[in-house]
Amino acid sequence: METWKEFEANELTHSAAHHLLAIYDVGLKYGGWARVSDIARDLNITRGSVSINLRALKKRGWVETDAHRLVKLTSTGLQAAKSVMAKRVILKTFISDILGVPRTQAEIDSCKIEHLISQATGERLALFLRFLSGDTRATHDLIPRFRRFRGDCPKNRTCDVCKGQCLMDELKRAI
Amino acid sequence: MCANRADLVEDLNRLMAEEAEACLRYFQMRFRLRGPGRVAAEAFFEDALRETLEHADAIAQQIRSLGHIPRLRIDLSLDGGPMRPAEALAEALDVEQQALDAYKEFLPRTASHPTLEKFIHAQIAVETEHVQEILTIAPAGAPLKLVDKPGS
Repeated sequence: METWKEFEANELTHSAAHHLLAIYDVGLKYGGWARVSDIARDLNITRGSVSINLRALKKRGWVETDAHRLVKLTSTGLQAAKSVMAKRVILKTFISDILGVPRTQAEIDSCKIEHLISQATGERLALFLRFLSGDTRATHDLIPRFRRFRGDCPKNRTCDVCKGQCLMDELKRAI
Repeated sequence: MCANRADLVEDLNRLMAEEAEACLRYFQMRFRLRGPGRVAAEAFFEDALRETLEHADAIAQQIRSLGHIPRLRIDLSLDGGPMRPAEALAEALDVEQQALDAYKEFLPRTASHPTLEKFIHAQIAVETEHVQEILTIAPAGAPLKLVDKPGS
């Protein structure tokens, strides 16, 4: 499948990821059980929307409900929620601590992609963070050196990264 | 349990959003219906969308009588493919049940506002009827028993 179609067919949608995280957060105080009204408040949407969205999560076996319409993550749902949370932390750390993007922006960007990156990419990123925070002199110097790096693009607008078309110029033109 | 006026209004805004959103949901759902019972289900959703809009309007009147202007905040994008009437009714049941629960949870907060309390009591009665009506025509797992209106 082409990558963009894979993106569209992503089994864990942005909305689903947020519902799982909300159920997890709200349920923390109540042994994992959450009320639809609290989930709705947490997500700032209506209870009707939550109940409709929960139908899809139930179909996938990620949540269960009881006779009082309380909601809880199943073990698969909990696993999915924790995986999203882990990816968010990894991405946020990478974007803010390594790339030096302000924390608020790092929070927004990591939230946008946390549910989209693969397990493999998440693991490699985590490994990369561990590598960079390692005790060797080379990696210790790397981040400060990167922070100081102000690589102006060459006049001919091509380099080893761009290979013919200046990517920085494209980014500056982006809407 | 008493609540200050601003909190009451905030809760009423939420209730109004539930009703207005249900109205839009039913509006769109009519066009997704396919298969046996479609015509009757369409008629059901037409009535439901009219009633939910009336409920939203009635809540807005309550907000106005408390001296505030209604604030409608809805974050909704409706799509989805064809839907069997039984499936659509099951979703409607969820929505109606949530509305009923919301009114029931709100009721104790209206204790010091007799008019509002009376209104919420009435809404609970109406929403209970709606839930019962859906349960009657589409009990969980049972085949749909909607009957097309004569001449439809």
